Amino acid sequence: MTTNSSRTAQAQEPTVAKRAAKRSKFRRKVAGLLALAVALIAVGALYSALSPNAQTAHAAGDPATVRKGEEVYNKTCISCHGGNLDGVKDKGPTLIGVGSAAVYFQTSSGRMPMMRQEAQASRKPAALKPDEIDALMAYIETKGGGPEKPKTSGAALRGGDPSRGGELFRLNCASCHNFTGRGGSLSSGKFAPELENVSESQIYTAMQSGPQNMPKFSDRQLTPTEKKDIIGYIKSVSDGNNNPGGAALGGFGPVSEGLIVWIVGIGALVGVTLWIGAKA
Amino acid sequence: MSGNEEEPRVPSEEELAEMSRDELVELGAKLDGVELVDYNDPWPVKGTRAEKRSERLVTLWFGIGALAAVLFFVVFLWWPWQYADPGHQFLYGLYTPLVGLTLGIAVLSLGIGALVYTKRFIPHELAVQQRHDGRSDEVDRQTVLAELADAGNRSTIARRSLVKTAGGTAVGILGIGALILPLGGLIKNPWAKSQTDPKDTLRWTGWREDSKAKTVFLRKDNGKADQIELVRPGDMDAGGMQTVYPLHVPNELKQKVLEAQNDPEKLRSVLMREDSTDQRVREEAEQLWEENKEELRRVDTPVMLIRLRSSDAHKVIKRKGQETFNYGDFYAYTKICSHLGCPTSLYEQQTNRILCPCHQSQFNALEYAKPIFGPAARALAQLPIDVDPETGYLYAKGDFIEPVGPAYWERRP
Repeated sequence: MTTNSSRTAQAQEPTVAKRAAKRSKFRRKVAGLLALAVALIAVGALYSALSPNAQTAHAAGDPATVRKGEEVYNKTCISCHGGNLDGVKDKGPTLIGVGSAAVYFQTSSGRMPMMRQEAQASRKPAALKPDEIDALMAYIETKGGGPEKPKTSGAALRGGDPSRGGELFRLNCASCHNFTGRGGSLSSGKFAPELENVSESQIYTAMQSGPQNMPKFSDRQLTPTEKKDIIGYIKSVSDGNNNPGGAALGGFGPVSEGLIVWIVGIGALVGVTLWIGAKA
Repeated sequence: MSGNEEEPRVPSEEELAEMSRDELVELGAKLDGVELVDYNDPWPVKGTRAEKRSERLVTLWFGIGALAAVLFFVVFLWWPWQYADPGHQFLYGLYTPLVGLTLGIAVLSLGIGALVYTKRFIPHELAVQQRHDGRSDEVDRQTVLAELADAGNRSTIARRSLVKTAGGTAVGILGIGALILPLGGLIKNPWAKSQTDPKDTLRWTGWREDSKAKTVFLRKDNGKADQIELVRPGDMDAGGMQTVYPLHVPNELKQKVLEAQNDPEKLRSVLMREDSTDQRVREEAEQLWEENKEELRRVDTPVMLIRLRSSDAHKVIKRKGQETFNYGDFYAYTKICSHLGCPTSLYEQQTNRILCPCHQSQFNALEYAKPIFGPAARALAQLPIDVDPETGYLYAKGDFIEPVGPAYWERRP
């Protein structure tokens, strides 16, 4: 070290004027760097003081749950949705920003994980346990936020105005799901499922997240109250609640009812006619 | 064949006067070639208990019919028929079954009563009628033809060509008149009035601006006809769809509409001009309010407002002349199918297809809602939309440039 510094000292000796010029240049450099640092810090401080709060609210899931969710993701979802949740071409879409609502709907109804690639994932018994679903929700929620599943569930999600819910259902949902939620067909083998034995949370999260080909209904388009009213209506016409006659005949309305009336009615008329003829 | 049987002798006038009713009935039947073998009164001895019982039975059925008819009217008029909430639907749920049951019993009892009466009281006759085979006698055929030809000949119509022409003309004009009724509507010029008449539904829908002093906002239906909510672009997520209706708002109210913050109560008070003390202003506002309410029920107004997913937005192909009709990723298409007018609102957000449930027509939302499958031949009409710079709500820049639904085919330049 000493030999080194003495050598530099010797090398930097030539003239005093030169040395002074060099030092002032060094000073200017340092001053410039300092000024830049101060300016950067000031801008940063100003930015953090003035910028609005981030729009995406990240769930404050505790780290252990999030880690467990990541494990579940790596085991069951990663092959189609990719290592960075950015999707795999022709296999699965990105999960960034889909939120916990989408995770809850897809996994609790057994649609995800899918068995194979097909026109549409259909309902089946859930493959994940409830605590695994919770962990996965917390994990996905840390990746870009998105619509959150409501905290409450069950009867608390049923609105108090099913008749208004019926109006909204017929306006927004009935075109695909039928006016009493019996479902219906879509293009190329896809279909809107029937809403029988579907939990309130699943209906709610489906509206929030727009699974597969269903449009999304954000909370500003259908307010939470309106969503709950719709659920109240669905619950009042499904699960056997819309069956005063005893035989719902599929609940499709005039098609099945007309067919049955025709077969039974015409059959009865023919029978009576035969009976009268036999008596005469 | 006729003439081979023994012809009944036609009685003289004196003999006719002497005959009883029974004998007259028998004679009439015989003259028609019918012989009554058995024609007995079912109750030869009057006033037996069995006869009285039968009478009572018939009376009972008619009585039940009358009672059921009265009950039908009572149920129809006074039974609670208004929709009730789930859990309180017992009486309401019985309305339709009771109406059907009472009406059914009334009709059925009348029928059974009539049947029982026929079976118990009408004599069971056994009659034999001779059958006539083959065509009429040659004499009958020739004479009838001669009579018809003679009638035509004697009317001298064959050589009176003036009368024939005049009569033919009268009948012909009447026939053409009957044709004009259905055909006249087809040959009228649809453009004649439509330029000026805003109520001409062939050309204009509820989205037409009545004047430049009003803006037609996109209004959403929140299930309550008396409430108004407008639509901001931020209200919809990508991949969302909602049905919107027109709301005509005078431009001078825009500032207040903005201040109302989409609160239905405040919007109502703004649009009803509750701040004004001028009676005329308030009456006009009320009339506009009612007109706006009717737009919710018009057949040509429902519009699907679709927000495409941003990953799809770059694939959009716009139609010539409709390049500026969308606002960013927002596209507005009529909900009325161009095939037969069904509500075609089955929107698939991933494939961007719009399906019509009636005949399975499919439209591509990425390509000006052009039909890609099914019987529909024309694209869905697209509504030009934009964001109002003063209020931030979506509004329609004008009416559709072509008719919605299965109407006629002209596009406005």
